[in-house]
Amino acid sequence: MDKLAQQLKQDSAMIEVDISHELDRRINASLRSVSPVRETPRRRPAVFWWASSLTGVAAAMVLIAVLNARSERDLPEAMPETSPVAMAASPVTPIIEWNAEAAMLTSPLRKELDDLQSDIDKARKKVREDIGL
Amino acid sequence: MDECDEQDLIEAAKAGSADAFADLVRSYRVRLLRFLMTRCASHADAEDALQDTLVASYRYLNSYDPRWRFSTWLYRIAIRNAHKMQQDKLVELGDLHDEESDPLLQCIASSETENLWVCARRVLNDEVFAATWLRYAEDMSINDISQALDRSTSWTKVNLLRARKALESELNGQRQGAEAYG
Repeated sequence: MDKLAQQLKQDSAMIEVDISHELDRRINASLRSVSPVRETPRRRPAVFWWASSLTGVAAAMVLIAVLNARSERDLPEAMPETSPVAMAASPVTPIIEWNAEAAMLTSPLRKELDDLQSDIDKARKKVREDIGL
Repeated sequence: MDECDEQDLIEAAKAGSADAFADLVRSYRVRLLRFLMTRCASHADAEDALQDTLVASYRYLNSYDPRWRFSTWLYRIAIRNAHKMQQDKLVELGDLHDEESDPLLQCIASSETENLWVCARRVLNDEVFAATWLRYAEDMSINDISQALDRSTSWTKVNLLRARKALESELNGQRQGAEAYG
């Protein structure tokens, strides 16, 4: 225990109090005039459980009935015929192979973008020259 | 009193024995009153707060959670009662502070140096003062103090540290002042 803690402990003991006979009598008298409050859990009556169970069952039955009625109404009169052949004949999307390379950034993005733009312009110009435009 | 005895007395008091409860709290009464003397405006208020605390703890003993220390629970009720009494007095009288009727000053044995708890009451707010009291006068653990004050353990740790710093700084200031006046 450090010095401050010791001093606090000592100084708390320096506070001299005592329970006077009068206070003792008062406390005992007031304790006898009360009794511990019983904490009884609030129980619901059995009717409540029956009522809530019946309500739940009724709600479930109504829900099932509504869902059944709706599914019957939404059912189309005739299902379109499909054949496995038609499915197989559907065009297959070709897989494109992208010959892309990861860009190696050696300078700030802005500069890289300018360089790339310049390369594109040069290429475009060269193509135009090649095709005689 | 060991824990078994305490538990037996609690059970008997829960069953309605006022004598068992009186035995149970006998050892706590002086400690609680000493604490309440630091918080109340007068000796009579402190005694009233002690009586209210004991009556309330007996009345609501069935809500006591045995995972807590009994003293922690008692202090929690005492702190609440003292706070309520302070609020009532503030409404009744305004913020009047009468040093002559200050129960703490009346109860302190004469000493050359200022009692640290008087200094603590001056520099700390009520809640931090209570935490400091529970820690150093009652040797309570951080967890117990947190429960008694209904605060987090981190709040308790931080504020105990701040309280120490504030007290040390106040003490250093007093020493320097004393040296300056020779």
